[in-house]
Amino acid sequence: MNKLAYRLRIYRSVVGMNIKEMLAYNLWFWSQLGAHLFLTIVYVSFWKALYSERETIAGLTMQQTLTYIILARMIAPLVQWGYTQEFGYWIREGTISSELLRPVDFQERIFIGHLTRTFVALAQQLLVTGSFAVLVFDIRLPTDPLIWLSFLISLLLGCSILFCFDWIFGCVAFYSTEVWGLQVVRGSILMLFSGVLLPLTMLPSGLQTLAQWMPFAQSVSIPVSLLSGITPLDQLGSIWLQQLAWLAVMLMLSRLMFNFSVRKITVQGG
Amino acid sequence: MSVIDVRNLGKTYRTIEKEGGVKGAIKALFRPQYREKVAVHDLNFQIDAGEIVGYIGVNGAGKSTTIKMLTGILYPTTGAVTVLGHDPQRERVANARNIGVVFGQRSQLWWDLALIESLNLVANIYEVEPSRYKQLLSHFSEVLELDEILKTPIRSMSLGQKMRAELAAAFIHEPKIVYLDEPTIGLDVMVKQRIREFIKDYNQTHNTTVMLTTHDLGDIEQLCSRVIIIDAGSKVYDGPLHAIKQQFGKYRTITFETNQPITNVQLPPACEQLSLSEYSLELKFDRSQLSASQVATALMQQIDVADFTLNEPDLESIIKHLYQNPTAYNEVAVNE
Repeated sequence: MNKLAYRLRIYRSVVGMNIKEMLAYNLWFWSQLGAHLFLTIVYVSFWKALYSERETIAGLTMQQTLTYIILARMIAPLVQWGYTQEFGYWIREGTISSELLRPVDFQERIFIGHLTRTFVALAQQLLVTGSFAVLVFDIRLPTDPLIWLSFLISLLLGCSILFCFDWIFGCVAFYSTEVWGLQVVRGSILMLFSGVLLPLTMLPSGLQTLAQWMPFAQSVSIPVSLLSGITPLDQLGSIWLQQLAWLAVMLMLSRLMFNFSVRKITVQGG
Repeated sequence: MSVIDVRNLGKTYRTIEKEGGVKGAIKALFRPQYREKVAVHDLNFQIDAGEIVGYIGVNGAGKSTTIKMLTGILYPTTGAVTVLGHDPQRERVANARNIGVVFGQRSQLWWDLALIESLNLVANIYEVEPSRYKQLLSHFSEVLELDEILKTPIRSMSLGQKMRAELAAAFIHEPKIVYLDEPTIGLDVMVKQRIREFIKDYNQTHNTTVMLTTHDLGDIEQLCSRVIIIDAGSKVYDGPLHAIKQQFGKYRTITFETNQPITNVQLPPACEQLSLSEYSLELKFDRSQLSASQVATALMQQIDVADFTLNEPDLESIIKHLYQNPTAYNEVAVNE
C-alpha cells in the first residue's frame, strides 16, 4: 500500500514535470497545430470531392467518413512519431545513463511521461481542431458522455499498446545505435495501417486482415471508430478484451526485450 | 568495512570496424568485422565507508567504464561488483537509492526546467522528508551559492553553475556513496575550490564514501588520501597518496646558475645531468643516496656558483612520468 502511495506521489511529479516541459516549447506546438489544421482542410476537401459522385463508400456515409477523418487527424500527431527517436537519442548520446540511475522503474516512468504528453496534446487538439471541425465543417461530435468515456479508455489502452511496441522498437537502438531509418519505416506503415488516412473498412480485405495483426489500429482506428459512431457501443466488451490481450502480450515482450538488450548498452562518449 | 567490493572485474567492448568510404560502409553492413577492445581487465579493489578515493589514469584507461559498472549502468563481461551488499546490475533500483552520481560531461537534470523543479522531483523520487529537504536545500544554497540560479532553467546556465546544480542534485538525498566523474572539468579556479570544499565538508559530516575520477591533480591532492591508478584497463597502483610521492618523488632536481661559462664538470655518483647551457646546469639526483648539500658542495668546488635552486617533484610531474613510462609502475608495485 505504501509502495503504491509512493509510486503515485512520484508519478504525480512526473506528470507535472512533463506538462511544464511541454509548455517550455509551447510556441512550437501551436505552430505545428496550425500546419496540421491546414492539412486537415486538404483531407476534408479531398473526401468531399470523392463523395460528390456517390452516397456511400464501403458502407460509410460522407458525414461518417468526415467525422472519422477529422477525429483520426486529431489523434494522428499523438501517435505518428512516438518516442523511438528520443529513445535512440538517449542511447546514441549516452543520456540513457542518467535515466538508468534514477531509483524508479525506467519503463514505468517514461510511460507515465509519454501518456501525460499524449493526453495534454489531445486536449489541445480537441480544443482547436475540434472546435474548428464543429464550427467550420459542421461535424456533429457525440454528446453522450458514455461514448466519450469509452473512447478515452480505448485510446488509453491503444496508446499503451503502441507505447510497448515502440519500446521494443527503441530497444533495437541498443544494437544499431541509430533508429532514424526504422522510425521512418514505422511512420509510413502506421499511416496506412492505423487508420489515419482512411477508415480501415475501406481497405481491401487482405490489407484489413494485415492491419488487424498490427498494433497501430489499436491506437487510432479502434478508438476513433467508437467516437465517430462507426463501431456501435454494444461491441465495447469485445473491443476492450481484445485491446487488453494486445496490451498484455506487448507489455510482456517489451519488458523482456529491454531486460535482454540493456546488457548490450555501451555509453557513448566518456 | 568495505562498502564497494570489486572482484576480477572486466569489460570487453565489441565494435564494428569499418573501412573508409561508401564501399567500406556497405561491406560493414553485410560482413561486419568485429574488433574486441578490453576496456577493463581483472580489476580488484575494496573501498571502505567514508574514504575519498581518487581514481586516475590517462584518457581511455577505463576509468569511466569502471564507474559505469559500479553504478549499474554497464554490465561487466567478467567478475562481480557488490555495492553495499547489492549487485548494481541486478538490483539497479535498490542500488540507485544508495548512490549519487555526477558525470562532469553530461547533465542529469531536466534541461528545460528550473533547477528548483529538478531538485523537487529528485527529492520526491528519493523520498526525502520535506523538513529535511528544506534544511538541506538551504544549506546547499549557501555552500554552493545556488540562490541566484534556483529559478534558472539548466539550459541557460554557465558550466560552473551547471556543475554546482549537478552536485546539489547528486547529494540532496544524502547518498551513502557518491561517484564523481570529472566534477571539475572545465571550471575556473574559484568554482573548483568551492566544489572541493563542498565535497570535503560533506564527506566529513556524513561519512559519505566518495570515488572521484579526475585529470585535475589539485582535486586529488586536496581531497584524496588514497589513489588508484589504472592503465590500459588494469590497476597499476593502489595505495596512499603520500606513498606515490615517496616512491616516485625520490628524484630531485637542482639547477646551478654561474657567472662564467661552465666547462668540464665532474658529476658525483647517483647524479645525472638533465640540461646544460653556458651559464646554467640542471641535475637530477636520487635523494636516498645523496643529499642536496653533498651535490652542491661537489659542484661548488668545480664551478663559481652564483645561485642555485632545488626542486621537489610535484604530484603532477610524478603522475606525468608514470603515464609516460608505464614500466615505472612495476617499480612502485615492488616497493609497495
